[in-house]
Amino acid sequence: MNGYAGKILRIDLTDRETSTIDTKDYEQWVGGHGMGSAIFWDLVKDKTISGFDPRNVVTIMTSPLSGTLVPGASSRTEVQGIGVQSYPIEWFTRSNFGGRFAAMLKFAGFDGIVIEGKADKPVWIDIRNKDVKIKDAQHWWGLDAWKTQEEIWREVSGKGYGGWIEWGLSGNEGRTTQRPAVLTIGPAGENLSRIASLIHDAGNASGQGGFGGVWGSKNLKAISVIGTESIQIADPNGLVEARLWANKNYGVDIDNPDLSWYARFGRKKPQDRFWDPPEKARLHACLGCHLGCNEKTDTGYGNESACVETSFYAYWDKSKHGGKQTAAAYIAADLLQKFGINAYEASRGLSYIRDLSRMGVLGHGRKIKCDLDFNLLGEVEFVNQFLKMIAYRRGIGDDFAEGFSRASKRWGRLEEDLKTGVLQYPYWGLPEHGYDPRAEVEWGYGSILGDRDINEHDFNFLFWWTSGAIWAGKTPYPDAERVVRIVAEKLVPYENDPLMLDHSTHNIYSEHMAKLVAWHRHYTRFWKQSVLFCDLRWPDFINSKNGYQGLTGEGEPRFFNAVTGKKISFREGMEMGRKIWNLDNAIWTLQGRHRDMVHFSDYIYRVPYGGLGNYAMYYLPGRENGQWKYIRVNGRYLDRARFEEFKTRFYKFEGWDSLTGWPTRGTLESLRLHPVADELQRKGKLGTG
Amino acid sequence: MEKLKAPSHELTIRVLGEVAFEDRLIGFSLRSRSGSLPVTMYKFEEVVTLLNDPFPRLDWSDLERWIKNIIRDPELVEEIVAAVKEEKSDRDRCLRIRVRMEERLNQCKKRM
Repeated sequence: MNGYAGKILRIDLTDRETSTIDTKDYEQWVGGHGMGSAIFWDLVKDKTISGFDPRNVVTIMTSPLSGTLVPGASSRTEVQGIGVQSYPIEWFTRSNFGGRFAAMLKFAGFDGIVIEGKADKPVWIDIRNKDVKIKDAQHWWGLDAWKTQEEIWREVSGKGYGGWIEWGLSGNEGRTTQRPAVLTIGPAGENLSRIASLIHDAGNASGQGGFGGVWGSKNLKAISVIGTESIQIADPNGLVEARLWANKNYGVDIDNPDLSWYARFGRKKPQDRFWDPPEKARLHACLGCHLGCNEKTDTGYGNESACVETSFYAYWDKSKHGGKQTAAAYIAADLLQKFGINAYEASRGLSYIRDLSRMGVLGHGRKIKCDLDFNLLGEVEFVNQFLKMIAYRRGIGDDFAEGFSRASKRWGRLEEDLKTGVLQYPYWGLPEHGYDPRAEVEWGYGSILGDRDINEHDFNFLFWWTSGAIWAGKTPYPDAERVVRIVAEKLVPYENDPLMLDHSTHNIYSEHMAKLVAWHRHYTRFWKQSVLFCDLRWPDFINSKNGYQGLTGEGEPRFFNAVTGKKISFREGMEMGRKIWNLDNAIWTLQGRHRDMVHFSDYIYRVPYGGLGNYAMYYLPGRENGQWKYIRVNGRYLDRARFEEFKTRFYKFEGWDSLTGWPTRGTLESLRLHPVADELQRKGKLGTG
Repeated sequence: MEKLKAPSHELTIRVLGEVAFEDRLIGFSLRSRSGSLPVTMYKFEEVVTLLNDPFPRLDWSDLERWIKNIIRDPELVEEIVAAVKEEKSDRDRCLRIRVRMEERLNQCKKRM
């Protein structure tokens, strides 16, 4: 099995036993999310249980590309199970993180880990190649996520972690200078917060889903893995050639960096961060990545942070300090990770409670009692107190730790605040990401038709480049018609339908948009969440180094086939994604989903996005009077009735029952999911039509 | 170069104060990955911070109304109206308005 380690580790925490599953048993699902969903389907007989139920199974999966030279695909790890963050139903959900964990797990001889049951007291898992031990973690319970990793590094090395780590095997197989890759929870997870993350190294978090709280409920503090084995590659020469080909034709051109218009694969500025760049820092990458998107700093603050955690406190920090950023922004990001708290919940939640404070309903002696002093907002002292309240459920922090939808419900404010949009949680009780359903509709549609904020940035370049150019008074180039044509060609198997990318209001409820949402669900389920191409680098639709033709379509299967020796096409991968997406919908159906509950929060249908003003904010390709342009999409809101019509179109397009949104036997059997259809029928949840 | 007249004590209090919930101003800070981060502002200084962001978005008519009705600074309103009318892009409007708002903020801070 080229690309695979061959075994999936199964850990029963209740009986403290380990066993393995032959990866071959699930090879048809390829890896990552596909395997995780299939294993979850098989092992969790009652899909209606809570995420905190010991019967909940958490899968931590790699892909055949993990630990290989495939650029932007070596390091991602997919986490799945019933989450505890979404509201009102705890959906079966997923999260994903980078770093070293997936590669190290493969080097240790495992394609994934399946966690079952609940330990009677805190434990950690110590994996050294195929040697797996469940160990007592009582003495580490209470440590933050970084301290825990340091302790494990010391424990595994036995003598500090600066030199060789050796364990009882002969030759080089049991010897390495690497540190173990540790995935751990902080105090928030231990205290069963629904917004607790899993943390790995300094800046990698599995944030969505509240899997930190799920681990806490299982008394699982950490998993440490170190390995020295190899991964068999079907065509090593082909893999190296593919990497060189990709870098030459689509990668960063260091001699002419400004040529790059927009490319995900080879961006001229790899880093993404909200805060002001640290003075002294160097680029840092996940294992195997050809670029790197985060930094290591001389101060040690903010190390490896690149995403939303860099936005969490930077604005408050500057506002408090006369426009100058201090160390507070970096420290706040570090605290999020030490405590193990979801950055989006903390960010949107903080904004929300500040609004409630200004309303006069939250604060000292008010209806919602809160000790936070908002005069200190922007200081380290404030953010430390706020995050500690969540992590340790102190005072009103006991409500915050439930996630801010549930907190708002406890306070009797949820309906009102979702109607006005003071609480910007558009779908499933989860925070708005920055790609609002009223503007970039396919992001919102994908989220509400799925289980979570999709956090898949595949089409955001359409907004980012154009909006920036128009704001600066420039004409975006290439023009909308050309960009749409290039991208539409790549949307296999629905290729060459440019109306899929028409974001004008008259088109956003159309079957074309349903096709775009379906394409996106299928692409990400397979190529990004099962094969585990990184969301930051893939897909590459537009790339100025190659006549604006990006790598996507050719790149994904070329790398996959070089590693595995298989001969799948991009189109076949998309069909695999459709199969996985259907299995996920079957799980949600068994959890209780019905089309009637698939709707956005009220403010999405009532409040214009970004106000009504005539200003350059948010632009996307669309048609006006039959002409392609970059059109302004801020200022609009969704039409409830027309969104219902859209759902009907989407369900029909997917071959699902348009009255319920449930999968049908015909569609499931066409994907060779007969047992899934049988189970839905037994439970009275099989769609008709 | 300073352009605005010295602020009154009353204006200084408003510029350095914090407005009510109903009088808040909402803008956005944009990034290529995190998207458009909504920013709710209760202080004049917070608006200045947003305008200093590399990629700020603010509805100029909202700002004009806010300065006119909440901060009650007619001189600054005139500056905003002129900037919106005369500048060719929102970036240039932002730069010009930012300079005047920073000037007003600094005047008020000095006065206090």
